[in-house]
Amino acid sequence: MPASSAFFSRRWVRLVIALVIVVAVLLLPLALPEFANQTLARIGVFAVAVLGLNVVMGYTGQVSLGQIFFVGLGAYVTAYGVRNDVNIVLVLLASVLIPGIVGLVIALAAARLGGLAIAMVTIALPIVGVPLAKRLSEFTGGSQGTSARFSDAPEWTGLYDDQWQLYIVILIGGIVFLLTRNLVRGKYGRAFAIVKENEAVASSMGISPYRFKVLAFTIASLIGGVSGFLYMVVVQYTSPETLSFGHSIQLLAAMVIGGAGSIVGSLLGGAYYVLAPQLTNAVDPSLTAVLQGALLLLVLFVLPGGLASLPARLQRLRRRAAGGREHHPGAPPTSSTDVPTPAATKGTQTERHDQS
Amino acid sequence: MGTFIQLVVDGLSLGSVYAALALAIVLVNQATGLINFAQGGMAVLSAYIAWWFAGLGVPLILAILLSVVVSFLMGAVIERYVMRRFEQGDPDTAVVVTIGLLTLITGVCGWLWTYNNQQFPSLFPLDTVSVFGAAVSVRSIGTTVVIIAIMLLLQGLFLGTKLGLALRAVAVNPQSAAFSGLPVGRLLMVGWGLAACLGAVAGALIAPQLTLTPGMMDTALVYALAAVILGGMSSPIGVVLAAWIIGVLENLAAVYVPFIGYDLKVAVPFVLIFIVLIVRPQGLFGRRSVVRV
Repeated sequence: MPASSAFFSRRWVRLVIALVIVVAVLLLPLALPEFANQTLARIGVFAVAVLGLNVVMGYTGQVSLGQIFFVGLGAYVTAYGVRNDVNIVLVLLASVLIPGIVGLVIALAAARLGGLAIAMVTIALPIVGVPLAKRLSEFTGGSQGTSARFSDAPEWTGLYDDQWQLYIVILIGGIVFLLTRNLVRGKYGRAFAIVKENEAVASSMGISPYRFKVLAFTIASLIGGVSGFLYMVVVQYTSPETLSFGHSIQLLAAMVIGGAGSIVGSLLGGAYYVLAPQLTNAVDPSLTAVLQGALLLLVLFVLPGGLASLPARLQRLRRRAAGGREHHPGAPPTSSTDVPTPAATKGTQTERHDQS
Repeated sequence: MGTFIQLVVDGLSLGSVYAALALAIVLVNQATGLINFAQGGMAVLSAYIAWWFAGLGVPLILAILLSVVVSFLMGAVIERYVMRRFEQGDPDTAVVVTIGLLTLITGVCGWLWTYNNQQFPSLFPLDTVSVFGAAVSVRSIGTTVVIIAIMLLLQGLFLGTKLGLALRAVAVNPQSAAFSGLPVGRLLMVGWGLAACLGAVAGALIAPQLTLTPGMMDTALVYALAAVILGGMSSPIGVVLAAWIIGVLENLAAVYVPFIGYDLKVAVPFVLIFIVLIVRPQGLFGRRSVVRV
């Protein structure tokens, strides 16, 4: 086990794995049937939305119940821009910036209250958003909703629409994931973590909790806007229903079940958001909400780190079981006995390093 | 003038329902430091239970009282078997747990009683009485009176009884309370139970107006949270006043501000919060930071 983790931590191995994944992801849309491509594209859309929620909630520790509002706003801006024949690059920019600005304004007020006030204010966003979207029918098409077809595959590509759309989602979603990953692993990510851990400590270190909470919320709104744009790429239709309260809660559940404060968890969360309703509907449609609520509570009880923490959790359990069997927990695990001695000692070292 | 008075009284009665839910939120928050987002869902379940009893032929007032008792047990059980595990840990996780509870309880209501609207009988006659020339519904007056009575009862409980003293002690400092021999766990269960009772009353009062559906309390919960922010977490009277202000203002705005109308009046409390936050940057209950040299 330690030997295999040493193997996976080698630089060239990781590069090869990354390359294989990239090639697989690029070829996948060509090989899969239409329905699978569409499902994958929707997973990508909501993975981006969950990623945004993760920035404000998973990494900065501010409960937000309003992320779906920014997704819906991005979708509406996209639809409006497309229907008015605005250049698509400008549409993308606007569908990112407008939710970002709205998010900034809301955060400027909500972050002042501190504590759980952001949760209490953001719960209003979907609940105010739905009637607002119905009212502003000039822009939104009222309760009928609005559609925009702009993501059909161009003639020269020779691709089907679903393949083209999935490629757009992979490209834009991939860029957002990469940028966010760099953000949360860099100095801003560390500042977020300190704010999450202890606001008083953050202040004493010269990190303004207020400023970083506002920043995290704004970034989450920007990412929500991107998700809204991608939503229009894939679904091509939005209505007030898109930003309803129930969806906001499902998004939060998806984030927690996928894994709060985890990039992989965001992907898993997007998959959960899209696949779980399909599965529970197959079991019994009237039980969907019960199953989802029960699953959320179950994950919080059993696996607080979400699905993303499952491998680490299993490894720990296995290690404990192995240690218990030999009655001397300090010894290297059994699997290292069939490896030559230097590798075994190396294994113990990494083990100690893990534990410290 | 007649319309105005009618709007104000109706607003007070709506505000009273938000106040009941807001008081429940404050009660749990004071004892445990967390916001229970499931409070609205629990109130809906209580209303369904009252409706179910009434459907069995139990007189309405008795059905509501029975649902209040069941709700007390429900609140206590939820505290003991779900929340207790998370009370000492990260408050964000605990909040997500209450959101999970909200989903679960709403789902249970929809599963047991479908998502269709159910007619909930009104506790008060549908007549109107004339107040200063305005036709005011008896239901509005009744709702307000019931909430005022409950407020006084709660105040009496907290200030005049031994249980109230113990509850306050746990809220102020659970560790010291435990050192002085108070059964903190049991008191927390009582706190959750009482909060659920308040929710049950709120549910029974608003259900005739909105008709009973699993998502009935979602909007009311938002108003209640707004009242909690405006009124201040530690002041029950402030919360009730804020709830009344919100109820009256949204009712007036719906009629007198053409753009807002009935569907957008839910935005009113948040515009209000926004203005308050800009005028009072530290927030209504935030401490002003003091720099000592």
